[in-house]
Amino acid sequence: MTAAVFEQVGKTYRTGLLSRGGVVAVNNVSLTVPQGSVFGLLGPNRAGKTTLVKLLLSLAQPTSGTVSRLGEPIRARHTLGRVGYMHENHAFPRYLSASDVLHFYGGLSGVATDELPGRVDRLLDRVGLADRKREPIARFSKGMVQRLGLAQAIINEPDLLILDEPTEGLDLMGRQLLRDVVRETNALGRTVLLVSHSLPEVEALCDELAVLVLGQVAYRGSLKNLLPDPITGTPRTLEQALQGIYTSEARA
Amino acid sequence: MNLSEAIRTVRWMIADTFRQSLSTRLFWVTLAITAVCTLLCASVRVSGDPESMRYEWEVPAILPQHEAEKIGTDKAKNDGVRIISGEMTLGFGAVKVPIGRSRDDSVRLLSVWLAGALADTVGVLLALLWTAGFIPTFLEPQSATVLLAKPAPRWSILLGKYLGVVGFVALQAFLFVGGTWSALGMATGVWNPNYWLAVPLLVLNFGIFFSVSTFLAVCSRSTVVAAFGTLLFWLLCWAMNFSHHRMLMFPNESLTPISRFLLDVGYWSFPKPLDLSSIFFDAMHAENFVSKVEEMRTLQSAGKFSPEASIATSVGFAAVVVGLSAYELEMTDY
Repeated sequence: MTAAVFEQVGKTYRTGLLSRGGVVAVNNVSLTVPQGSVFGLLGPNRAGKTTLVKLLLSLAQPTSGTVSRLGEPIRARHTLGRVGYMHENHAFPRYLSASDVLHFYGGLSGVATDELPGRVDRLLDRVGLADRKREPIARFSKGMVQRLGLAQAIINEPDLLILDEPTEGLDLMGRQLLRDVVRETNALGRTVLLVSHSLPEVEALCDELAVLVLGQVAYRGSLKNLLPDPITGTPRTLEQALQGIYTSEARA
Repeated sequence: MNLSEAIRTVRWMIADTFRQSLSTRLFWVTLAITAVCTLLCASVRVSGDPESMRYEWEVPAILPQHEAEKIGTDKAKNDGVRIISGEMTLGFGAVKVPIGRSRDDSVRLLSVWLAGALADTVGVLLALLWTAGFIPTFLEPQSATVLLAKPAPRWSILLGKYLGVVGFVALQAFLFVGGTWSALGMATGVWNPNYWLAVPLLVLNFGIFFSVSTFLAVCSRSTVVAAFGTLLFWLLCWAMNFSHHRMLMFPNESLTPISRFLLDVGYWSFPKPLDLSSIFFDAMHAENFVSKVEEMRTLQSAGKFSPEASIATSVGFAAVVVGLSAYELEMTDY
């Protein structure tokens, strides 16, 4: 089984008065995210990475093509109960405490009510917020909110964990925590989809990746195959490899 | 998703909305207003005026007892002046108001003023302004994306938010009516159970207009649009309701057939705030002491007013608008 499949997917956002205009976010994207992998989705700004994530989460509908999630079409919302999602700049309700946030999102994810308190306490401990669990998150720093966002994303023990720019605002300890969570999740046979500009995280965690440029897939394969220069065969850093792809796609 | 899961989502959203409401400063402001009104009611003392002869053919001059004594009570009576001996004091005797009604009617008058004028107009408008930001805030992409990526259907999330706000206003209405009813009862000995009808009517009135606020919020994600759009709509509905009844009362007024048709369609399609107020007015037997809107009175006398139909169509309107809001949310990309 696959964690996510995009088949010839296109998405155009309607803009302007009476939706006459349109911005093409992704165009004819076909991509498969294998189950049990840590899959990186890379690309420059406005490449369409977040759009693909939104389509996968049923936050937006594709204009063309089909998307499936955990083996079922995205209209089957029940599969979202097996998905965890961490967003780069998520604004949690400021009137809630850390504990309330996890209870609320856990409840909506379908976690059984009697299981919630134990899970919430364990996760708050895991992300280092156990001592602040009753505090309103209005008092939290960005890094603390990110940690809470990570806890929220894994509260339902998801089969597919989607992390959209998860390192934003995280300190060194926070980044290490994120890496640990990704590895633990993956060790249980679960899939992680990592959307990130942070190349150290991608290099440290991802088995496979796809590079999007201007709404299309410019590279799909393993990290190992991407690093050598395709012409000379000399080893490159990931940054150099990506720059090569971005430049050649821009020329094309 | 099955029904039990949808119900669970609605329950979570209601609980969240209550927490959101409790965290706002305006909650404490409205609670303070309720406390002040309750204290005011607790301070009321009333001595009624015996029923005096009423003249159908004239409006008698009215003087309080102490004023009449200055010019001579007998002289005043001979001149057709009605002398009233009742008195209502507010603020534990600080303010004295002469009244020419029985004790029961005096207390009912105060109740009608509190629930009909203060709560049903000022209170509902304030509540609409206060809650106008709830849905737009929650629908901001930064707040909504994680929430909408949960397995809960979007309609149940929105319905839970809507019911949470309406439920919270119901709690406020209950506290207001309960507080003022108890205080008035204890202070005056007049216990009027019909006053409690104000709670469902206030909630109904608010819920109907909050559905419009919800729709505007889903379409625009703007607090300003939701707040002012709803206020404009509220004014439009009052005008439509009043004009419709006036049209029925004076069928020969210069209205074109198409205008009459549109007014009729508008009346039956849109909420009817004047009708809802009138239902409370009648339940409190307020016509004994306050004159009713003439158009409404005539309509009722002619048997052309159906409270049930009025309530049913207003509730139907709210249900349709909430349904449209849910559909719009379902179709929106985030």
